[in-house]
Amino acid sequence: MSDLPVPHFAPDAALLPPLRDPLFDGLRDELAGLDTPPGVRKELLAAFARQRTALPWWRRLGTPGWRLAGGGAALATVLVTVLIAALYQAGAPASPTTYTAAGRGDFVALEPLERIEQDPAPTLLSTTVPRAALTALGVAVDPQDAGDMMQAEMLVGADGSPLALRLAVQ
Amino acid sequence: MNNFAPAPATTDHELLRQMQAGVASAFDALYRRHQGPLFRFCLMRSGSTAIAADVVQEVFMGLLTGSFRFDPLRGSLANFLFGVARNLVMKQDRPGQQPPSDDEHEDESVACEAPSPLARLLRHEQAEQVRRAIAALPPHYRDVLILFELNERSYVDIAAICQLDIGTVRSRLSRARSALATRLAAWREPLNVE
Repeated sequence: MSDLPVPHFAPDAALLPPLRDPLFDGLRDELAGLDTPPGVRKELLAAFARQRTALPWWRRLGTPGWRLAGGGAALATVLVTVLIAALYQAGAPASPTTYTAAGRGDFVALEPLERIEQDPAPTLLSTTVPRAALTALGVAVDPQDAGDMMQAEMLVGADGSPLALRLAVQ
Repeated sequence: MNNFAPAPATTDHELLRQMQAGVASAFDALYRRHQGPLFRFCLMRSGSTAIAADVVQEVFMGLLTGSFRFDPLRGSLANFLFGVARNLVMKQDRPGQQPPSDDEHEDESVACEAPSPLARLLRHEQAEQVRRAIAALPPHYRDVLILFELNERSYVDIAAICQLDIGTVRSRLSRARSALATRLAAWREPLNVE
């Protein structure tokens, strides 16, 4: 231990909590064990129960149990709604627009119907292609069927742009 | 009846909210937390176990029925309960009487100095002497002295409970101590001799 004097800083009296007079220690100790008679608690709890019974049903819904149940049900409803919406958007195929060419049957429109109908000189091109070639057009192909040949007919506009498509498995 | 048990460290405000929602255990927790200090304050203030028990019951009944409206923005629940209890005890002193000013002195009502049921509970002579001396103080000195020395409330708390400014709390406490010292002087002398 060092013999150097330890600096002493007197605390500001205004910052200290006020001191209790030791004169009261004995009385304070005596009182420490005193509580309200037990009958008071019983009467108060009975009064609470009576008042509780008199509460209307909508006030009783404010209890933690009901709030928890209500909150859980609301959360589950929101989750199911969001899930259904997400599944619908991901899984539902976009319904293709069908274009019916006069005397040539139905085609899957690749352009708006107005554009197709306004084309001055559409031409029908026909060919046979392996099904695997359809993947380049964004059409899903089962690998097991990738070798099958397909009849493809495409309606081409006067400027050479594809307007509509029709496929048929041979 | 709902029996959701509140956590031990739950605040008064949360317990009060649960109580108002009908949770019996929250009301019970509030009662257990505050009844002791309130009862001891009322007991020392009135000198009667029966009055103290009645006042505590009335305080909590008022809290339960909403006849005493607690505003959390205006202070702690403990101070509010003490304030209500003090007002109820004051009605027992002298119904309808306003609290005296600090200029008035020892001519106010005196809680019973004669040995009471409380006296039987206090085992030591010193404690009994101090209790009697406190009981002989004017009520407005008794309030601050009991709250400070026995309930160990701060000046700020006492100011809130008694609706006083802190300077008045200090001065009343000082005068209460002086009055008490005078009354206890005769009792302290023999102790000093020993």
